[in-house]
Amino acid sequence: MPRIFIPAPLRQYAGGAKEVDVAGATVGEALGALTARHGDLKKHLYNDEGRLRSFVNVYLNDEDIRYLDKEASAVGESDTLSIVPSIAGGR
Amino acid sequence: MVWIESMLTISKESWEIIVADACAAYPRECCGVLLGELDPADDDLRTATVAIPCRNAHQEGRNDRFFIHPDDQLAAQKRARAEGLEVLGFFHSHPDEHAYFSATDLANSLHWYSNVVVSVRKGELAGAACFRVNEEKTHAETEDLVHPG
Repeated sequence: MPRIFIPAPLRQYAGGAKEVDVAGATVGEALGALTARHGDLKKHLYNDEGRLRSFVNVYLNDEDIRYLDKEASAVGESDTLSIVPSIAGGR
Repeated sequence: MVWIESMLTISKESWEIIVADACAAYPRECCGVLLGELDPADDDLRTATVAIPCRNAHQEGRNDRFFIHPDDQLAAQKRARAEGLEVLGFFHSHPDEHAYFSATDLANSLHWYSNVVVSVRKGELAGAACFRVNEEKTHAETEDLVHPG
């Protein structure tokens, strides 16, 4: 099963889990399985239009899915997904 | 909401890396990731043992803006897992400004994380502070910061 790594601020919405194994053949299916299991995560990952929020980066193994097939990117049994929040700022 | 007292302690080695990165980047903003450990009894008591300078990926205005390259954050996440540590938060510098948490910082941060801001004036360290934001990103609270030097 693909494994999704959850960053610390979002674990409170995932029952405290650092990682979650989910079923899914694509990134979108895997994330859908994650949010189906942990509904509170959905609003933190997706906007009202159902698109991944702009500050949410998702990596399939070492690749940003924006440079792959986005949420249609195929995932295999041993693949990992990492949620990487954008962090920015300035004076 | 009720704010819980929190404290971030930074190791000597990590502090030296942060200061060196901030001074080297001057007059641009530096940025990076802090790894470390949570107190087993209290997530709000943290010790940063690793500081990882990252690329400032902001496309323009790097004198007053930063954007931590997501690839570098991913690498930091992987290192944290490999070493049994946690991504505790981030650091960045304010060249020729004091160590405050700006509206831009607030809008582009995330709750739970510790955010260290270091002030650099004329290329030298001039102060530091740490902040945590609420979930709504409407307010930043000072977090006690303990560092050598």
